[in-house]
Amino acid sequence: MTETRNMKRPMSPRRKRYAAGIGLALVVGAVLGAVMQRGETGDGLTIFSNAPLTPGFAAGAAILWVVGMIVSLTMYHRAVDDHEERAYLWAGLAAWYTFTLSAPTWWVLHRASLAPAPDAMLLFAGALAVNLIVWLWLKYR
Amino acid sequence: MNNKLKVLRAMRNWSQAELADRLDVSRQAVNAIETGKYDPSLPLAFKLARLFDMPIEEIFDDGHEGSDND
Repeated sequence: MTETRNMKRPMSPRRKRYAAGIGLALVVGAVLGAVMQRGETGDGLTIFSNAPLTPGFAAGAAILWVVGMIVSLTMYHRAVDDHEERAYLWAGLAAWYTFTLSAPTWWVLHRASLAPAPDAMLLFAGALAVNLIVWLWLKYR
Repeated sequence: MNNKLKVLRAMRNWSQAELADRLDVSRQAVNAIETGKYDPSLPLAFKLARLFDMPIEEIFDDGHEGSDND
């Protein structure tokens, strides 16, 4: 029994699909981030700014994002077990609630000149951060 | 929901990772079930029952005695 405990077990097809999906998402994110950062013109991180982009680059980035995310998310959802699926669903719900609370609040405050114009990427980043925190907590606690 | 997963696993001298491999789930899923933080889906509960060759109700205990027909 001890031998089987210490043996390096081969990855199941499900785990291979899981690793491939996560890997593809990381590659898409890394390529997009690296290419955007190379075109940096300001002092900060270009990927988090609203600086103008060339139409060709913007179209390429949009296609890469949409296609890459659809493919990697399909692979991910076909590979996750139901414990992680549950974590993912609750994390997604928490992110959605974050967005539904923050976006209209910010928008209505802006209309009364009490806040700057809503920033879509900031709202996205906030929802994504909540998503990640809840997912990590439910999967690894 | 209480369960005997940790005991059944220990009786076979399996690690959490080993049991996870046999069920084709993550080690975190096995840990979450053992610690009562997660109740498995019905298909996974059946898989566990087949693996340990026991009825589901002998592995999991929802705290109710007998049948609930009321």
